Amino acid sequence: MDPITFSIIRHRLFRVIDEAVITLKHVSGSAITNEGHDLMVSLYRADGSLLMGGVGFLHHLTSAAEACKAVIRRFEGDIGEGDVFLTNCPYTAALHTSDIYLVAPIHHDGRLVAWSACFVHVYDIGAMVPGGFSPDSRDIFTEGFSSPGIKLVEGDTMRRDVMDTLLNMVRAPEMVALDLSSMIAANNVARERMVALIEKYGAEPVDEACAALVDQSETLFRKRLQELPDGRWEARQYFDIEGETCRVLLAMTKEGDELTFDFTGSSPQSHYGINCTYWASWGGFFAPLFPLLCYDITWNDGVLRPISMIAPEGSVVNCTRPAPVSLATVGAIQSVNNAACTCIAKMLSASEAYAKEATAVWHGSHFAIFMFGLNQRRQEAIGILTETFGGAGGARTWADGIDVGGEIPNPIGRMANVETTEATFPVRYLFRRARPDTGGPGRWRGGNGIEFALVQHDSPEGGINYVVSGKGTEFSMSEGLGGGYAGAPCAYRWVHNNRAREDGRNVNPFPTSLDEMTGEAETISWGVFPLKGDDALYVRSDGGGGFGDPLEREPARVQADVQAGAVSAEVAARVYGVVTTAGGVDEDATRARREALRQARLATPVAAE
Amino acid sequence: MSATRISATLAVNEDRAIACLACGHALGPAGAPWKEHARLDEQPMQGAGGAPYSNAERVLLRRFYCPGCSALLDTESALAGDPFLTDIVRV
Repeated sequence: MDPITFSIIRHRLFRVIDEAVITLKHVSGSAITNEGHDLMVSLYRADGSLLMGGVGFLHHLTSAAEACKAVIRRFEGDIGEGDVFLTNCPYTAALHTSDIYLVAPIHHDGRLVAWSACFVHVYDIGAMVPGGFSPDSRDIFTEGFSSPGIKLVEGDTMRRDVMDTLLNMVRAPEMVALDLSSMIAANNVARERMVALIEKYGAEPVDEACAALVDQSETLFRKRLQELPDGRWEARQYFDIEGETCRVLLAMTKEGDELTFDFTGSSPQSHYGINCTYWASWGGFFAPLFPLLCYDITWNDGVLRPISMIAPEGSVVNCTRPAPVSLATVGAIQSVNNAACTCIAKMLSASEAYAKEATAVWHGSHFAIFMFGLNQRRQEAIGILTETFGGAGGARTWADGIDVGGEIPNPIGRMANVETTEATFPVRYLFRRARPDTGGPGRWRGGNGIEFALVQHDSPEGGINYVVSGKGTEFSMSEGLGGGYAGAPCAYRWVHNNRAREDGRNVNPFPTSLDEMTGEAETISWGVFPLKGDDALYVRSDGGGGFGDPLEREPARVQADVQAGAVSAEVAARVYGVVTTAGGVDEDATRARREALRQARLATPVAAE
Repeated sequence: MSATRISATLAVNEDRAIACLACGHALGPAGAPWKEHARLDEQPMQGAGGAPYSNAERVLLRRFYCPGCSALLDTESALAGDPFLTDIVRV
């Protein structure tokens, strides 16, 4: 095939996905899709293998391939034009039941030529707790509707019996119907555009280009791996759930043009829904691998071919049915994301040519909080606080992490305006801002995370409920790199009776920090809680990991951070060894401080002693 | 043979030893774990930064320093008793 036609077809495939994503967002009505971009659309070959990975949460690119393959196996001989299949079973392909895959065959002249697949985190799935994150579930059976594969649309006609059965099992069925409609619409657009592409260039040339595109990715990726050093790198992630500590251990080995991700030694599966299944772990390390190693390579099955994975059965990274997994995406999967990011970054750091591509971990712990209850219009409202998608950038080898700068596994994630949340739920924000001192210190510091506080407002029931599924409150999950420190952990506080008047003092009803709140601040991290009366909810996210030695950070940058409120003067002096004043860096004091810190380092014992 | 980089802070030198990139101090043979040869400061993570780290009482921040020049070579988060993370680069 001539290279120009190949390039045109390649770019058309990108645009097919772009248009499908736009369609999905136009039809969907939920903030988690439109604001958080907790979505994905991709194209697959006729055999279900990944052809063109799209945007959104990248661990879905490979899992949706498994969804396509599962549908091909289950419905062999019964896959027709205009069909749409649904699967959300985590033990088949999905990450958790809330993330529904709709996969649709694309036919041309009666022949199956490709698949389109997409997902959104649906408004509700009928789990124990509204919204799908179900901290009290102890098995998959209490995590809502789950299908290993069902035909939702047949020959472009909705199967009402199937749709009504599903909607009969969820809360807010009208919103779930809208979610499903958005995915059907996205698949329809993908199909129309693919058929138009084939009609313009011919079925055989397009198929040839698609096969060549996959081969090209494999060739380019193997070449990149050959350029990187051979070795074995380790990473470790901890997370704490209700007194239970889980470990995700990863040893990544690179030999020649192949990579192996080995999770041997990771904790046994948990009683809580933070486990993930085999295909979720598989997708979990591809989420950072695609952008960090394949930033200029098309994300498709060719990238998968040089990769293998070892994930012990019955572990937190390859749980066995019926273990609960409703929180997998913010649990074990995110730890797989983080551990893979660390190992890949260390491998990049070992290469003169690629060291600049290395990064510390971004936003290692989602603090996903779902709210549910009647809103100010007496409508049932369920949804996530999208600040969890705000993230915090990890430091690079040449720049600071970006404050509230997102995350690697979802390059298009973002958070909603406070007004969007206030219009959806009966709440008011007391404050929302980047939190100083949360980014991991380093020569380049990690991006700061976010903090905010909410109170109920105008609620017909005196308040609303929220679900906290917080790990990462004890452990820093955004690891640093090359001497950089990990970012700060998350925090949740249930502030009781925030407007209490103690000792007859007038109390500000609108505190602008946790310190200004007068009620008792109770540390929480797991379960369902009320936001009622004069109570407040305070949340602080984690910061990004730092890179390099904090004592090597230019004093002027530390001074600028202090002046900007990104780093406190106390941390500047104690951690960075930089003495700041209103007039600038005290250079003599800084020199003395840093020398004292270096001497203290030399007084520490040798590790082997 | 010139020094070959194996991490952001380390290289393998002409004598096939792992060495600090900043000062050249040797930290054991190439292909072997090097952290045992570094100076180690192991403190609760809550001292790593400011107030937002106050929850991190149980987890430790391990800082591995070059015995030659005090450069910070690597960090890791760990619970007490967990082994050092080992990275091996074949040169």
